[in-house]
Amino acid sequence: MQGSSDRGPADLTQLQATMQAIEIACSSIQMHVNPAAAEATILSLCQSPQPYQACQFILENSQVANARFQAAAAIRDAAIREWGLLTSDDKKSLISFCLCFVMQHASSPEGYVQSKVSSVAAQLMKRGWLDFAAAEKEAFMYEVKQAVLGVHGVDVQFTGINFLESLVSEFSPSTSTAMGLPREFHEQCLKLLELEYLKTFYCWAQDAAVSVTSRIIESHSAVPEVKVCTAALRLMLQILNWDFRYNTNMAKGAKPSMDAFNDGVRHDIASPKRSECILVQPGPSWRDVLISNGHIGWLLGLYGALRQKFSCEGYWLDCPVAVSARKLIVQFCSLTGTIFPSANMQEHHLLQLLSGIIPWIDPPHAVSQAIECGKSESEMLDGCRALLSMATVTTPTVFDQLLKSVSPFGTLTLLSTLMCEVIKVLMATNTEEETWSWMARDILLDTWTTLLIPMHSIGENARFPSEGINAAANLFALIVEAELRAASASAFNDDEDSQYLQASISAMDERLSSYALIARAAIDVAIPLLTRLFTERFARLHQGKGITDPTETLEELYSLLLITGHVLADEGEGETPSVPMAIQTHFVDIVETHKHPVVVLSSTIIRFAEQSLDQEMRTSVFSPRLMEAVIWFLARWSSTYLMVPEECREDNCNSGYDHESWLRSQHSRKALLSFFGQYNQGKPVLDVIVRISMMTLISYPGEKDLQALTCYQLLHSLVRRKNVCTHLVAFDSWRELANAFANGRTLFSLHSTHQRSLAQTLVLSASGMRNPEASNQYVRDLTSHMTAYLVEMSNKNDLKNFSQQPDIILSVSCLLERLRGAARALEPRTQKAIYEMGFSVMNSVLVLLEVYKHEFAVVYLLLKFVVDWVDGEIIYLEAQETAIVVDFCMRLLQLYSSHNIGKISVSLSSSLLSEAKTEMYKDLRALLQLIANLCSKDMVDFSSDSIETPGTSISQVVYFGLHIVTPLISLDLLKYPKLCHDYFSLLSHMLEVYPEMVAQLNSEAFAHVLGTLDFGLHHQDTEVVDMCLKVLKALASYHYKETSIGKIGLGSHASGFKDSDGKFQEGILSRFLRSLLQLLLFEDYSTDLVGIAADALFPLILCEQGVYQRLGQELADSQANPTLKSRLVNALQSLTSSNQLSPTLDRINYKRFRKNLHSFLIEVHGFLRTM
Amino acid sequence: MSDEEHHFESKADAGASKTYPQQAGAIRKNGYIVIKARPCKVVEVSTSKTGKHGHAKCHFVGIDIFNGKKLEDIVPSSHNCDVPHVTRTDYQLIDISEDGFVSLLTDSGGTKDDLRLPTDDNLLTQIKDGFAEGKDLVVTVMTAMGEEQICALKDIGPKN
Repeated sequence: MQGSSDRGPADLTQLQATMQAIEIACSSIQMHVNPAAAEATILSLCQSPQPYQACQFILENSQVANARFQAAAAIRDAAIREWGLLTSDDKKSLISFCLCFVMQHASSPEGYVQSKVSSVAAQLMKRGWLDFAAAEKEAFMYEVKQAVLGVHGVDVQFTGINFLESLVSEFSPSTSTAMGLPREFHEQCLKLLELEYLKTFYCWAQDAAVSVTSRIIESHSAVPEVKVCTAALRLMLQILNWDFRYNTNMAKGAKPSMDAFNDGVRHDIASPKRSECILVQPGPSWRDVLISNGHIGWLLGLYGALRQKFSCEGYWLDCPVAVSARKLIVQFCSLTGTIFPSANMQEHHLLQLLSGIIPWIDPPHAVSQAIECGKSESEMLDGCRALLSMATVTTPTVFDQLLKSVSPFGTLTLLSTLMCEVIKVLMATNTEEETWSWMARDILLDTWTTLLIPMHSIGENARFPSEGINAAANLFALIVEAELRAASASAFNDDEDSQYLQASISAMDERLSSYALIARAAIDVAIPLLTRLFTERFARLHQGKGITDPTETLEELYSLLLITGHVLADEGEGETPSVPMAIQTHFVDIVETHKHPVVVLSSTIIRFAEQSLDQEMRTSVFSPRLMEAVIWFLARWSSTYLMVPEECREDNCNSGYDHESWLRSQHSRKALLSFFGQYNQGKPVLDVIVRISMMTLISYPGEKDLQALTCYQLLHSLVRRKNVCTHLVAFDSWRELANAFANGRTLFSLHSTHQRSLAQTLVLSASGMRNPEASNQYVRDLTSHMTAYLVEMSNKNDLKNFSQQPDIILSVSCLLERLRGAARALEPRTQKAIYEMGFSVMNSVLVLLEVYKHEFAVVYLLLKFVVDWVDGEIIYLEAQETAIVVDFCMRLLQLYSSHNIGKISVSLSSSLLSEAKTEMYKDLRALLQLIANLCSKDMVDFSSDSIETPGTSISQVVYFGLHIVTPLISLDLLKYPKLCHDYFSLLSHMLEVYPEMVAQLNSEAFAHVLGTLDFGLHHQDTEVVDMCLKVLKALASYHYKETSIGKIGLGSHASGFKDSDGKFQEGILSRFLRSLLQLLLFEDYSTDLVGIAADALFPLILCEQGVYQRLGQELADSQANPTLKSRLVNALQSLTSSNQLSPTLDRINYKRFRKNLHSFLIEVHGFLRTM
Repeated sequence: MSDEEHHFESKADAGASKTYPQQAGAIRKNGYIVIKARPCKVVEVSTSKTGKHGHAKCHFVGIDIFNGKKLEDIVPSSHNCDVPHVTRTDYQLIDISEDGFVSLLTDSGGTKDDLRLPTDDNLLTQIKDGFAEGKDLVVTVMTAMGEEQICALKDIGPKN
């Protein structure tokens, strides 16, 4: 089935045959009869050269809608591919055919064929956008305009608007179709459309909508014009969603030059958001269209009229036209920027919109009642979204004032009442399902966050309207009530689905942060409220002890602890968080520090937590879950308030304050912080925290989550600060913990990763010792017992007999985990002790690797320990130590490889087999990491040796390492993405840095490396391909540079050699030149790769000029068509000669060659792939 | 539990014990566990709570190391589980007899002739083919709770 390529009058019977074949294929796909063959038939139409006539014939004559659809798709594929070959008239006639087709069939019932053809027209139009003269484009657009304005009737009008929609979406970066062209093309199109046509399109849509408005308003049932109106509203919305960048006249000169396709994300608002809100900033040139001509008034009027009609037949709250109108109204709320000549004007604009929106949400109670009785919630939700958009473009004061001018209360009060209403509904329904009230709550919460975040960060709480503070206080009280009620109601739920739980926890965290913002807006009320609630619940626990089931109260406390933690302190995210601004700047009148509300609240909670140390209280009250909240709270609280060093307190933040009030707030802040400082309550509180942590590790056996929180959050955050460590190492409680860890067996029952983390924590606390000697001694004391155990054990004669006992395996793996943790905690001042620790077990590690060669879990731990130890130590080691460590690593690699080369696991169970494979993969990954770590010695070296000292040559290490490890890496294992990634990044690193070592690899290892390279070149992951191309570049450029100064470079690897059978083996460079060309010309790949491929191809061509000439000749000869042939020859010619390319490998030439390759591929890629 | 020194001296019955107790919370993925009197490799561990404010329990999914069957168990994480004593020993393969037994060379120079070839065709061919090709094969025999099975083989072929 071929389209007629001779362009003469085609044979009618042939066209009909083609049509029939496609029709049959389409219907057999639908009925699922031999789909593969059917797909092949359709594909052959797409891929045949110049199938246009056949496709047009099918579109015009076929009765099968699917066949028409496929024909349209084929036109698109073929035309995009062959664009360079088509004459200008061909191109235009294809576009006008598609346009005429949709206009003529405007009333066709098969909407999907229509929209396909119209999108084909749009894509072709875009493809030619830069080629066509302005007049040619005008001609097309004139036709479209006529249609859109309704000259040819309603159906054609609808079709015209639809076409514009496809066109706009084709031009905007996120929805455009790939065309095998560089980004610059898309970007230019985008710019041209925005500057030349976008506003015109908007006006046409506006005119179309306005022209049908009166018909809609006057009629009492649905009329065909509604369809036009909906489409026009949709188009307007789409245009307002455009990412305006060229016409905004704003003081951000950098923006237009930015890459449209990298800059897909807006960075305007960096707050956690559940609902999207995009700013619309079209710039002053849009003022006449959007603002000054009464457009908004018309839109609100239209929607108002629609609201009256919802009782009529054909109209309802969610009918398409109403939905589109509402969306457009909401979109207008985010209109901002230079389009408004003054702030006043924007406020006026927002007020106008708000007055239109008020009936959707006000009065809140009536609205929510109606929804609960079955009214659709979408209007109310859109109202909330409109508030969110307004909050995004205004300051809190302006936001609040908006409503004040027309009603007795401000917008903040409305927002608060609305949200209170929503929360009441939530409380009443109390289901786990996502109802409308959930969505409304999330949107409104975002609105609050948007209003509060900027103030929170610059500490301008004082400027929040006082009415707003009251509103926030009311709202927070209600929120806490709702949360507590939800908590006690869910106390007996069994949360089985832990994965769902994880997701809901992070969602809850976000929600709590927003609650905290609201609480901080009314901090004077919020803190005493929380204190009161806590005190009540503690009292209830004590009174009911042993009498009533405390579960509900426990769950309430759990939730209170979470809320309070968020209100009092921010998440540090690795940095030391400061006291929230709201807390710093309030409570300035407190004279006695111990009556400071924050101190009262914190002390209440700490006293409560302390009770968990009591055995009886613990069993009756402190459930694991409650304890989790306690630990979480202590971790969060202590990093903000506990023993904050003096210098941190001095950061000044006097912006926006007069000096006196700034001084007063500084005073209150200091008082608050010094209360928990090292000279006041800090030490006793820290001691309590340590005791509580130790207790959770020992007295809650098997509670993994609780212990994880203790290890990772609480203890880690404590040892992160040096001044805290100074006190820690002096505490008896801390010594007890260290002793239990180093010498006892109790902590063996902790989860192994927690033991690792605990070791890390304890070693890190050594930074609190007076001097480096003491720190090193501290670490030695901590680890000597553990290393001694391993050494003693590995020296036993009957090791083989007892080593396999489960209890021994448990001890060994726990100890290895701990050593690994200690190794990871390496700091310059403890480096010595950690080195000695690893050094002392080096031999034992090798012995254990032999004994446990079948015990994957232990082998993996051994490898990981060495990896981490080497990683930390390598940069500090002196030459002699380096030699020892390197020698040890090589022995380790050899031993591992001797155990595993040629090993096959056999098992009945496929899952055990795949486990075995995974284990192998993890081991190898560790080994690769080990080699990579050794490599880093050449990059960073802190040792005191002068450079001249003959040290171990790292390149030698790498060379041996590769010899040992590569045979273990099979193509099967490279299917593991992480391993694949690690392997190729190591390979590319090594070849870039030590290409001379590769030349020395023996032929077997070399062949293996190349085999994997071949595999990597055809990998789906572009990053892997990228790294392989870098390897090729490194190899070829090394060879070229070496040979040009008369050295042998890669020697026999490059020149080719006779193998043992006497057959001539092609040199590797010519082999890769061939496969790279093959890849570039005939296969699918991302256009992002072309740049780096050019970098690899250029030196390859220089190395193998002869081969390249021959390949080019072969390629040209395979081309039968003389025009194509001459084009190809020319393209090949200019690939190596244009842009003054010269045969030297420097930056300029690489850059020139990149350009050449780009244009070469654009020129020939399309038609080569059709052959 | 006390802080006493831990000894690895073989006790009188060392090696005789087929299983050892271990706290459920300390058993990890890739470790071993006894479920329904069968030695299993743990392929999945998850924890949950009995009620919101209850204690943690571990949910184990194990695969029988001999017959590949999947078994599951739920244990409170502070309780003890049995962990099987699994050993693996390498032997050089000397012969495969007609009646489905293999002859293996022990470390001490004797032979071990009481081990059957696996019944599964797939595994059987892997071993037989390797042997027929004249490769020097080392088989690894896994022993646990009184059962034995060949679990891996390795071509130690010509040394390089």
